[in-house]
Amino acid sequence: MRIVIGQGSCGIAAGAEKVRKALMNTNITSDISITGCIGMCYLEPIVDIYDDNGGLTRLVKVSETDADAIASYVNTGNKSFVEKLVVTPEDSEFLSKQTRIALRNCGVIDPENIDAYTDADGYTALKKALTEMTPEEVIEVIKVSGLAGRGGAGFPTWFKWNAARQSQGDEKYLICNADEGDPGAFMDRAVIESDPHNLIEGMLIGAYAIGAKHAVVYVRAEYPLAIKRLKNAIRQATEQGIIGENIFGTDFSCDFTIKAGAGAFVCGEETALIESLEGHRGMPRLKPPFPAQSGFWRKPSNINNVETFANVAWIINNGGEAFAAMGTEGSKGTKVFAVTGKVKRSGLVEIPMGKTLRDVIFDIGGGMKTDKPFKAVQMGGPSGGCIPSDLIDTVIDYKALGATGAIMGSGGMVVMDESTCMVGMAKFFLDFTAKESCGKCIHCRIGTKRMLEMLERITNGQGKEGDIELLEELCYSIKDGALCGLGQTAPNPVLTTIKYFRDEYEAHIHDKKCPAGECSALIEYKINADKCKGCTLCARNCPVGAIAGTVKNPHVIDTEKCIKCGKCYTVCKFGAVVKE
Amino acid sequence: MIQLTINGKAVQAPEGSTILEAARSANIDIPTLCYDKAVEVYGACGLCVVEAEGIPKLLRSCSAKVSEGMVINTESERVVQSRKIAMELLMSAHDGDCVAPCQLNCPAGTDCQGYVGLIANGEYEAALKLIKNKIPLPASIGRVCPHPCEKACRRKNVDEPINIAQLKAFAADIDLKGSSYLPDVMVRTGKKVAVIGGGPAGLTAAYYLNIMGHSVTVYDMMDKMGGMLRYGIPQYRLPKEVLDKEIALIESAGVQFVNNVKLGRDFTIESLKTENDAVIVAVGAWQSSSMRTPGEDLQGVYGGIDFLRAVIQQNPPAIGEKVAVCGGGNTAMDACRTAVRLGAKEVYVIYRRTRNEMPADKLEIDEAEEEGVIYKFLTNPLSFNGENGKVKSITLQIMELGEPDASGRRRPVPVEGKTEEIAVDSVILAIGQKLVQGDVSELSLNGRGNIEADADFFTTSIDGVFAIGDATNRGASIAIEAIGEAGRCAKAVDAFLKGESFETRVPYISKRDESTIDYSDRKKESRITPKVLPADVRNKSFDEVSLGFTEEEAQKEAQRCLECGCREYYKCKLLHAAQRYDIHPERFAGEMPQKYTRDDNAFIERNPAKCILCGLCVRSCREVMDLHAIGLMGRGFKSEISPAFSLPLDKTNCNNCGLCVQLCPTGALTEKSTLQKQVPLNEEITEQKIEIDGKSASVLVARCNGKILRVIPNDALSRSMKLSRDELIALLK
Amino acid sequence: MNKTIDLSLLDGVLQEYAPVKGSLITILQHTQDIYGYLPKEAIELIAEKTGIATSEIMGVGTFYTQFRFAPVGKYLIMLCQGTACHVNSSELILQTIKDELGIEDGQTTEDGLFSLKCVACLGCCSLSPVMMINEDTYGSLTPDKTKKILKELREAAQ
Repeated sequence: MRIVIGQGSCGIAAGAEKVRKALMNTNITSDISITGCIGMCYLEPIVDIYDDNGGLTRLVKVSETDADAIASYVNTGNKSFVEKLVVTPEDSEFLSKQTRIALRNCGVIDPENIDAYTDADGYTALKKALTEMTPEEVIEVIKVSGLAGRGGAGFPTWFKWNAARQSQGDEKYLICNADEGDPGAFMDRAVIESDPHNLIEGMLIGAYAIGAKHAVVYVRAEYPLAIKRLKNAIRQATEQGIIGENIFGTDFSCDFTIKAGAGAFVCGEETALIESLEGHRGMPRLKPPFPAQSGFWRKPSNINNVETFANVAWIINNGGEAFAAMGTEGSKGTKVFAVTGKVKRSGLVEIPMGKTLRDVIFDIGGGMKTDKPFKAVQMGGPSGGCIPSDLIDTVIDYKALGATGAIMGSGGMVVMDESTCMVGMAKFFLDFTAKESCGKCIHCRIGTKRMLEMLERITNGQGKEGDIELLEELCYSIKDGALCGLGQTAPNPVLTTIKYFRDEYEAHIHDKKCPAGECSALIEYKINADKCKGCTLCARNCPVGAIAGTVKNPHVIDTEKCIKCGKCYTVCKFGAVVKE
Repeated sequence: MIQLTINGKAVQAPEGSTILEAARSANIDIPTLCYDKAVEVYGACGLCVVEAEGIPKLLRSCSAKVSEGMVINTESERVVQSRKIAMELLMSAHDGDCVAPCQLNCPAGTDCQGYVGLIANGEYEAALKLIKNKIPLPASIGRVCPHPCEKACRRKNVDEPINIAQLKAFAADIDLKGSSYLPDVMVRTGKKVAVIGGGPAGLTAAYYLNIMGHSVTVYDMMDKMGGMLRYGIPQYRLPKEVLDKEIALIESAGVQFVNNVKLGRDFTIESLKTENDAVIVAVGAWQSSSMRTPGEDLQGVYGGIDFLRAVIQQNPPAIGEKVAVCGGGNTAMDACRTAVRLGAKEVYVIYRRTRNEMPADKLEIDEAEEEGVIYKFLTNPLSFNGENGKVKSITLQIMELGEPDASGRRRPVPVEGKTEEIAVDSVILAIGQKLVQGDVSELSLNGRGNIEADADFFTTSIDGVFAIGDATNRGASIAIEAIGEAGRCAKAVDAFLKGESFETRVPYISKRDESTIDYSDRKKESRITPKVLPADVRNKSFDEVSLGFTEEEAQKEAQRCLECGCREYYKCKLLHAAQRYDIHPERFAGEMPQKYTRDDNAFIERNPAKCILCGLCVRSCREVMDLHAIGLMGRGFKSEISPAFSLPLDKTNCNNCGLCVQLCPTGALTEKSTLQKQVPLNEEITEQKIEIDGKSASVLVARCNGKILRVIPNDALSRSMKLSRDELIALLK
Repeated sequence: MNKTIDLSLLDGVLQEYAPVKGSLITILQHTQDIYGYLPKEAIELIAEKTGIATSEIMGVGTFYTQFRFAPVGKYLIMLCQGTACHVNSSELILQTIKDELGIEDGQTTEDGLFSLKCVACLGCCSLSPVMMINEDTYGSLTPDKTKKILKELREAAQ
């Protein structure tokens, strides 16, 4: 038997490393190895046990105390030792209903071992491209595949490659944007942590296609494990001559560098990323000139996102047509989503374009984890928008999602139930964009701050007549006037929540009520006398002594004294404390 | 060459040029704040956006290149909206006063900070000229004005307001003593204007219309010009000799005076209209208001302005020994103090509220008391009682203060059944004055019985006839109010005479939120008031009470000015851009990104609260000078420009080349002038050559009234030399 | 607190990166790894060795949230501010940490043990709400769990 432990960041955070150490301390003689992110993040830590016939027993939510039981199972083959840990058939559907291309090796192979990658046909596509294809042919295959930028904008990849290819210049750069900044997305992190060679291979093919001798990955600093594994992979590939001079004995040479970002969402914007790569403040440059003409060190440069590159090797090996066979008219192939929030099964989901939001959230994600109904899903993070429950059957396709006011985005999909205040959600995103605004252009620097202030006033119960209209006016102006994508898309969360949840805004402004019961300035805590058992827990936890009552008798909250901290609400075991 | 169309106009531009360059070469103005040819394009301000047909996004014209057949609109609705919002946002985060509050609160908009500052520097002539831009009678107004400017003066938050009015009188007196300033008069237009009424309103309108080149004649019913300044204000407050001199200067400037002619008796508005291109009615309010108290018609009861006029005309009525003056305003003060000077033994001021509520100037109230006036606060006449048709006593209702009324002052209410009787020989009713309606029967009146005049254009019911001052709209007010209206009316009449349109929109200016200002670093220095005659001397004489400022006092007092208004006001590109459209930044009022922090050296003063982060200073310091003395710090809303580690400029490698100041579009970076006290002045800037080490270098020289205020290096050589201003000035000669 | 800064610790970093153009951020990251923050003296040395003006270095340093200009506590708590964490009530966790430690975002406890920093998404969204303390990640936080973690760390330090 062979034991494989899921060691992506999620797994490690959930205790996978402790499990591994505990297993190493048992009398197991079988091979114990690691893999990256299996994708079922909600079940971490996960231990996969392969029998000698390749049969898989997947154990989930494993803790270090389970080590002996696992050892017993591995040593005896008696499954009853681990019965309670085996993944349920329903949970298994989470993966079986997916179509994995970008993630094909994630959670399967050992990301720290190049042989694991080559055993899985790794680097065959690069070899094919370098030895059997011209750069133009590579670009043609990508064109046929219909691959579009997975970072969010959905711009045809072949077009960018071609523009960079056509650009005059002896020195060109191929850059990978791994500055995954959307708060609520982790597809790129998972790819780098779980299958770094796939990224390297995709990038080298891209570099060959555009004629670049330098490949650069810009990874955000918050991803130390990804940086570590990518560095390791670069070292291994260099050792094997896959990176460097005359790769596979051809004329093609390419070096590879990693640059770690330092914490700035705006660096996801390609010109800001270039500024940052050059060691400057990550402030966007004016376009034109576009990076394809004048990018890194003012040389022709092409920038793609991690997931885009992760599809490239597969496309070269399987043909553009195979990729294009999946998806819709305008959106080809698959897309990876990081499904999180109030959904039952959260993790990485890769499905063909053309499936619906319902497929992802309910069929694969298992619906809501609480008893509260589904309210909306936020797509595209701070640049995207909220899609309400009645549009749950929207098809996953650049155009169809764009029509809702949201965007495909990089793949963040945050599911919300009725307890989420949509004005609060808009405020959350504006708080984010205001903090992340680089400060260069007026519309974004001051506009996002002023929007945030207005949303703060509204959620504090100080909204006034005309605020919604003023917000909308400001939104449209910022979209029109901001210098870069960050500012131009910053109003989207506000506009979509106004579009679909205007009544919630109105309730805050006119009635001074938060229908979701989230905005503390607008709610009151009360105790339902029928449910209260008089356990005194709330009164003992109240920091201001606002709760009165005697043992075994219903308690009462003095709303004058109450500071709405919500402690009573969280500590009550009987659901007797209610928000109004 | 590329052919394109901008705003419907065919334009040619060399290939590779930007839309902005193409537009500017065709004299099409596109506003910019962060663009300058000296440095690389930056694209921050977004004001230069334009719309191009077929391109969905707005283009930043500073960077977008022209292409063949492009059709550009630089002022489309979408472009204007984008610029307006940009300016509203920018101004919502720009913490500065374009103009000092004193100037804003002056009904005539007099540049108080300007002349106070000039006086502080001993530049009296320049100060006088600045005043005369708004007030043709400054020596008189300086003496009598209730100075709304001082009420707004921020110095009151430190100690006491600046003595602005007296400083004005000081500068004007110097002018009257020496070779008095006469304004340059424009080429004659051949247009004729008649002004009815030679009071402050009429004289002011006449003065400015004359300067504008029109031929103006003032018609007045009295034997001398001056109106209420002459016939309503006692000699001890405004000596007639001062007024005479100022009026004589207006006449010398070219205004024609005709006295002893009365509207309705000697001419009509219509008759003047036939002989003139425009008529301005400025007849004032010459009838004392009634109190509607029984006994007002008794002998010995006088109207306040009637009484004052009679005294001034050397024909004082017999007021006896006991005089009661009813009212609490400045006319009441004039009346009671005049009564004292006429020899009355007991002079009462009857006022239904208390001292705190009196509308009269505090100084007047105090000085009157020093002169022996007795205040009867919280009393109100119930009746004037007579004997043989002559007033003998007043029955007073005792009052107390109740709830505040609409004006915020506590309303006086009678104390039931409590009265007092005082014996009097005469009574003076100084409770207000109104228009003599019969005089202006040709014009439509409003509900208050005053001439109805348009608030912006001053037009009346008759075409070509304008009306201003006490006779109009809300009735009698203070002289400076009438002067302010007259100045604006002169512009309206000028536009009317030329057939031009007249901008009535009050252009946007930035104002600080007073509540956010920190004064803790200001040293307290008491207000200086000119010395006055001792009470026991002045109560027997009509000599001027105030002795006026000495030069030393004036300079010291003027030094106290906090310099609220921005020095860059006259050349601020930001303000210019803000005034281009009708903007309302208050819609977006919120947190200010930066606090006022003062960082200055001998030349440059930095104020981050006004910075708009266009980056021109940082970029020019880096790209042109390669000095990197300052940089962009932080990010987002809280971004700021400062030297590393927040060091003062003096601790950096800044060489005071002044390029950053020159490029700064607003008052975030200013260069100090040669004046000791800094003053916002409308400078004339000319380029001059100087010789440095045998080589020719260019400098810009900023002058005002001929005085060199600043010398700014203007090329690489002059910027590199680290020359002090004194050295630069020496090289100019 | 005013320990003298041993600038020789920077020699290796500067030797390797100072000649490589575009390396400022990398140099600052290494500097912070060495000192725990970016001391003024170090910035002045970097300026001298790279020829980049201090105003530029500070401009870069203050632009990115990663950089600090004052020392941090023994335990640096980085609380995730991602969307998934927000939806799963990370606000409660923030309040709990503030209450427990008596510090605000960006501050350090008086005993120098804990510093609190709210950070951008850590990418562990499935475990939200999440925080990292030094190298370790803690997921699925509740107020009670958070208190327990802080208590354990405090005890471990004594």
